[in-house]
Amino acid sequence: MITLTHFMVVSAGLFCIGLFIIVSKKNAIQVLLGIELMLNAAILNMVAFSRYDRVNNGGQMFALFAIVLAAATTAVALAIILNVYRRYKTINPDEINQLKDQ
Amino acid sequence: MNQPLSHTDAQTVTLALIAVLLPFAAFVINFLVLGKSKATGWVSTLAILASAVLGITVFFKVWDKQVMHVQYLWFTIGTTKLYAGVLLNNLSVLLLALVSVIALPVHIYSTAYMNDDEGYGHYFRYLSFFCFSMLALVVVDNLMLFYAFWELVGFSSYLLIGFWFTRDSAVIANKKAFIMNRIGDIGLLTAIIILFTQYHTFDIAALFGSDGLIVRSVITHGEWVGPVGHIPAVWQYVAFGGIFLAVAAKSAQFPLHTWLPDAMEGPTSVSALIHAATMVAAGVFLLGRAYALFTETELTILAFVGCFTAFMAATIALTQNDLKRILAYSTISQLGFMVMAMGVGAYASSLFHLATHAFFKCLLFLVAGIVIHQVKHIKDDNNLDIDPQNILHLGGLRKKLPLTFIAAIIGGLALIGLPLTSGYLSKDGILIQSFEWSEGRNIFFKLVPTFGLLNTWLTAFYVSRLIIKVFFGEFRLQKMNPHIKIHIGDGSWQYKLPLILLAVCCLFPLFSLNPLLYEDAWLFHGFFQINFLVRSNMYHTIIPALVNVLSIGVMYGAWMLYVKRNTWSVPQTGFLFRMSCNEWYIDKFYNRVIVKFVLILSDTLYWFDIKVVDGLVNLIQSIGIAFSKMAAWFDHYIIDGLLNLLAAVVQGIGDFARRFQRGKVQYYLYSMLLALIVVFILKILIWT
Repeated sequence: MITLTHFMVVSAGLFCIGLFIIVSKKNAIQVLLGIELMLNAAILNMVAFSRYDRVNNGGQMFALFAIVLAAATTAVALAIILNVYRRYKTINPDEINQLKDQ
Repeated sequence: MNQPLSHTDAQTVTLALIAVLLPFAAFVINFLVLGKSKATGWVSTLAILASAVLGITVFFKVWDKQVMHVQYLWFTIGTTKLYAGVLLNNLSVLLLALVSVIALPVHIYSTAYMNDDEGYGHYFRYLSFFCFSMLALVVVDNLMLFYAFWELVGFSSYLLIGFWFTRDSAVIANKKAFIMNRIGDIGLLTAIIILFTQYHTFDIAALFGSDGLIVRSVITHGEWVGPVGHIPAVWQYVAFGGIFLAVAAKSAQFPLHTWLPDAMEGPTSVSALIHAATMVAAGVFLLGRAYALFTETELTILAFVGCFTAFMAATIALTQNDLKRILAYSTISQLGFMVMAMGVGAYASSLFHLATHAFFKCLLFLVAGIVIHQVKHIKDDNNLDIDPQNILHLGGLRKKLPLTFIAAIIGGLALIGLPLTSGYLSKDGILIQSFEWSEGRNIFFKLVPTFGLLNTWLTAFYVSRLIIKVFFGEFRLQKMNPHIKIHIGDGSWQYKLPLILLAVCCLFPLFSLNPLLYEDAWLFHGFFQINFLVRSNMYHTIIPALVNVLSIGVMYGAWMLYVKRNTWSVPQTGFLFRMSCNEWYIDKFYNRVIVKFVLILSDTLYWFDIKVVDGLVNLIQSIGIAFSKMAAWFDHYIIDGLLNLLAAVVQGIGDFARRFQRGKVQYYLYSMLLALIVVFILKILIWT
C-alpha cells in the first residue's frame, strides 16, 4: 500500500532535484524548470496531506490554485528571460550581473 | 658721617671732582665726537691742563690744613649702607696734584710723538681714560670704588701696552701684564672682603684713619679683635698677603714684576706716564692707604721683599742693552726702594721718593722716547735693519740732541741721587731711616740697609752706562755704516717744553730750599711720623757723604770703562753676567714651571673634556640612538604590525565576504541554502 511516507519521500526527492537544478544549471530556462519541480514537490505534499481533510478537500483546492499561479508565474518568467535574452544575447544567469555593486 | 661742610670746603671738593672728571669728559668727547681727528690730542691736553691747575689748587687748600671727607649714600643692601664719596687728605691731594702734573707734559709730548701714528685718536682716548681712572683711584674714599678704579687703571694700562696690537710682542706683553695684574687684583679683592667681614664697612677713612677701626684692633691669643667683632688672626695675615699681592702686581715687586719690562712694548710716552711715574705708584699708594693694617712682622716682610726687588732689578739693569728695558728695571728697582721704605717705617720718605721718582723717571723716559724717535728716523731714511732701542748702536748724541742730553743728565743725576737734585733728598732719607731701623736688631736685619746702599751704587753704574753709551763717545751706527745721512735734532717745542718742565721739577728747589739736607723738605711735614727729622745720630751725616762719594767713584769708573776704554773690561761670560743678562732667569723659570704647568694642566683638562666628558655625552648619545632605533623597530614591526594584522584580517574577512556578493544569482541561492541548513542544524542541536 502506498502510505503517506512514500508521497513524502517522492516530494522530498523532487524538491532536492529542483533545488540542485536551480543552483547548478547555467541556463535560465533550466533554472525555471527546477523551480517548477520544487513547486510540484510542494503541491504533491498538499495533495497527499489532504487525506486528513476529506470534507472540504482543502489540499486539492489549494493545489489547483498553486498550479494556476505557477503557470502564470512561469509565463511572466519566460517573458523576462526572453527580454533578458534580447538584451544580453545570453540566458546564463552568471553572466547577467549588471545589477551588482561595481 | 655726613658732617656739614663749610662753603669753601664744598668748593674744594667740587674742584677735586672736576679735576677727576675732566679727563673723563675728554675721553667721552674724543670717543663720541672727534674720532680720528687731530683735535683729540688738544682736547685731552686741555683737559689735563685744567686738571693739573685744579689739582694744584686743591693741593694748596688741603695740604697740611685739614682732611676733607664727603660722602653720599650710594645704595643699601639689607641693613648695610654703602657710601660713595671723596676723601681728600695729604696723601690723596699729593697724588692728585702729582698725577695730573706729570700727565700734562706727557700729553704735550704725545701730541708730537704720536703725530704720525694711525691710532692717534685711540691713543688720546685711552690716555684720557687712564688719567681719569688714576685720579679717581686717588680720591675715592671707599674700598669698593677703589677696587673698581684699580681695575680700570689696570685695564687702560692693558689697552696702552697693546696699543700697537698688530705686533705679536705687544699682544703677548699686554696679555702678560693683564694676567699678572689679575693675580694682584684677586689679592686686593680678598683683602677687601676680609676687611669688610671684620669691620662691616668699606670706608677708607673709618678703616685706616688715625683713630680708625684698624688702629683700635689688636691681635691677641690667635684672635683679631676689632671694635665691632673678632675673627681668627689668620685672616689678618691673609688680608696682608692679599694687599701684598696687589702691591706686588701693580708696583712690580719681586714675584710679579716680570710684566713691567715687557710693558715697554707700548708707546714710550705711555711708558713714561703709566709704567714709570703714575700707575706703578698705585701699589705704593695702596700701601700708604692701608699702612695702619700692617703689623711689625708684616712690615719687615715688606722691607725684605722691597730690598730684594730693588737689588735684583738693579743688577739686571746693569747688563741690558735695550734702552727702555734698562729704564724699566730701574723703575722696578726704585719701586722696590719705596716698598722697602714703607717696610722700615719711612712712610713719608717713601711717598717723597714716589713724588721725586715720578718726575725724574718720566723725564728719563721722555728722553728715551726722543732718542728712539730720532734713531727710528735714521733707520727709516737709510733703510737700516736695526733695533732703534739698542744702546749698542748709539753714542755721541750729545751734540745732535743738546737739550735732550742736558735733560738726561739732570734725570740721571736725580736717579743716582747726587746733591742739588730731588733724588738726593728722597733717597738719602730712606737710606738713613733704614739704618736707624736696623739699629739694635740682629745682623740679619742689617742686610736691608746694606743692600739698599749697594743698590744706589749699582744705580749709579747703570745710569752712567746708559748715558755714556747714548750720549758720549762716537755714534756707533755711523761708524758701522759710514754712508748714512744724519739730520736729527731735539724736535719741536712739544718735545722741548715737557723736557724743560720736568727737568726743572727734578731739581731741589721744588722740594726743599736747602739742597743738602733732606730734613728740610716741606713734604715731610704733611705726614704723621716726623720724629726721624731730628739729626740725632751720625747716620744723617755719614750716609749722604758715603753714598755720594762712592757714587761719583762708580760714575768715574763707568766713564773710564766705556769712554776711555783703557782700563779693565767687564768679563762677559761669567755666571753673574749671564744671570743678570737673562734677568735672573725668573721669566724663564715662570715659563718653564708655571706656564708649562698651566699648559699641561689645560691639556689634561682638555683631554679630560674631550675623552671623558664628551665621551660620556657621546656614550649617552649612542645609547639614546640605539634605544631610539629599538623603539623605532618595535613601533614599526610590533605596533604597526598589529594594526596591519588587524587591517589584513579585516580585509581578508571582507574579501571572503564579498565573494558572496558577486552578483551571481546562484551564489545567493547557495548562501540562502547554507544559512537555512545552519539554522536547521542549530535548531535541531539546541532543541534536542
